[in-house]
Amino acid sequence: MKLNATRLVFAGPVLILSSLIPALLPSQTPAASLSGKVTNPSGQVVSSAKVTVRNLETGQSAETRSNPDGVYTFPNLAPGAYELSVSAEAFAAKTSQVTLATQQQVMDLILSPIPAPLKALPNAPSATPASPSLGDLGFTPQQSQPNAQLQVLLDKRTEMLKIHQRLGLITTIPMAAALITGPMATAKGKNGQPITEPTTANLDFHAALGGATTALYFTSAYYAIRAPRVPGTEKHGAIRLHEALAFIHLPGMVLTPALGIMAYKQENAGEKVHGIASAHGAVAYTTAAAYGASIIAVSWPIHWKFWEK
Amino acid sequence: MKKIFLLALLLAAPPVFAQLDTQWVIEQSTLTYHMSHPMHQVDGVSRDAKGKGVCHAEECDFLIATPVKSFDSGDTNRDLHMIEATRGAQFPMVVVRTRFPVGDTASATIYADLEVQFAGQTAHYAHVPFQRATQGNQVRLTGTILATCSDFKIDRPSFLTVPIKNEIPVRVDITWRPM
Repeated sequence: MKLNATRLVFAGPVLILSSLIPALLPSQTPAASLSGKVTNPSGQVVSSAKVTVRNLETGQSAETRSNPDGVYTFPNLAPGAYELSVSAEAFAAKTSQVTLATQQQVMDLILSPIPAPLKALPNAPSATPASPSLGDLGFTPQQSQPNAQLQVLLDKRTEMLKIHQRLGLITTIPMAAALITGPMATAKGKNGQPITEPTTANLDFHAALGGATTALYFTSAYYAIRAPRVPGTEKHGAIRLHEALAFIHLPGMVLTPALGIMAYKQENAGEKVHGIASAHGAVAYTTAAAYGASIIAVSWPIHWKFWEK
Repeated sequence: MKKIFLLALLLAAPPVFAQLDTQWVIEQSTLTYHMSHPMHQVDGVSRDAKGKGVCHAEECDFLIATPVKSFDSGDTNRDLHMIEATRGAQFPMVVVRTRFPVGDTASATIYADLEVQFAGQTAHYAHVPFQRATQGNQVRLTGTILATCSDFKIDRPSFLTVPIKNEIPVRVDITWRPM
């Protein structure tokens, strides 16, 4: 059975994209629950401990107290990231983060008694009335106050950029292969030579590699573009060059497949590649060069002696 | 002979921090963390540290703090990744406390026990050497804290899927002046 090349060109990217689509869509949110037991380090239950849970995305919070068995329960919570705080008399308050999935989650909490002042080491630091405190140093609240929402935003940003980075690296594989197979695929009728043998297999393979490169590239680009911006941050350093190079390789990744389809049709029609389609190779090489430079830019400065400790 | 003379001079020198109930503030500071990756050697620098020291009859209490986001490694993306990895929005300050006997302050090398709060964790570093140099009424302390990511339960950030090394030594260069 002869493989339909046009189908192959489009089937690869469509398959890759369709496998990624569920990850990009907002999911339904069935309820989750969180429960656990509050104890001291010896395992004795701590009753009447105040337990608060706060959704880090919406800011909504709920509060409960541990029962005589030390058990606390939060039913019907939306899945997501939460800040869980617990406090009880004579114990140090404790805050931790928990990410809830759709099922019941158990998180036991161990409270430490409020410690006596440090005195183990001869030079050990300790807080005395005359000791300087953080308030003495004159930091602004903006500098010194926690911002849980910003942390959630940074977490999301990092997660998306990690995916961007991994997909970006994977993209280099079909991209390099497409560059290697390109000259073979376009050899038919090149420079006015007569068509001596069918090169359909090469051409189809090259087209499939190009399609896979395009799909991976735009999926990777999606994660970079949609990664949340951090307010008040002025970009500097290598990331600026990395982003500036996208102004070359992004249009290049639109043009290259468009010109490739034209060249593909001309080749299949037995024609010598002509007109604007003949720029396909040059555009592809320029795009790949800019893409490679953008990876090097964000990796700079490269520690060449990386094998040394 | 020369050595004996220098030793005598050193012993005769009054402890610089030792004046009773004196207070000290940071005149200028440079805190530099060093991060190693198979492909990268990166230094992140903060010059925004503020600090205060109080010396009593027998000992000195010092507190130094700097915002996590004040560290600049030369690239915004890397710095934001560092803030994320160290939970710097939730725990925005690096706070260092130390106490040492006034008698120690006469030495060219001060050994300090440090309590460092960072990334929501507290780590202790015992007997960290700091070189002391006086410049007029100012005192300059330099040294390196051999911190690691695991001291603060930091998931090591990765680049090109390879994590950085666990060791993140922090070079300290702080000049103090009396208030």
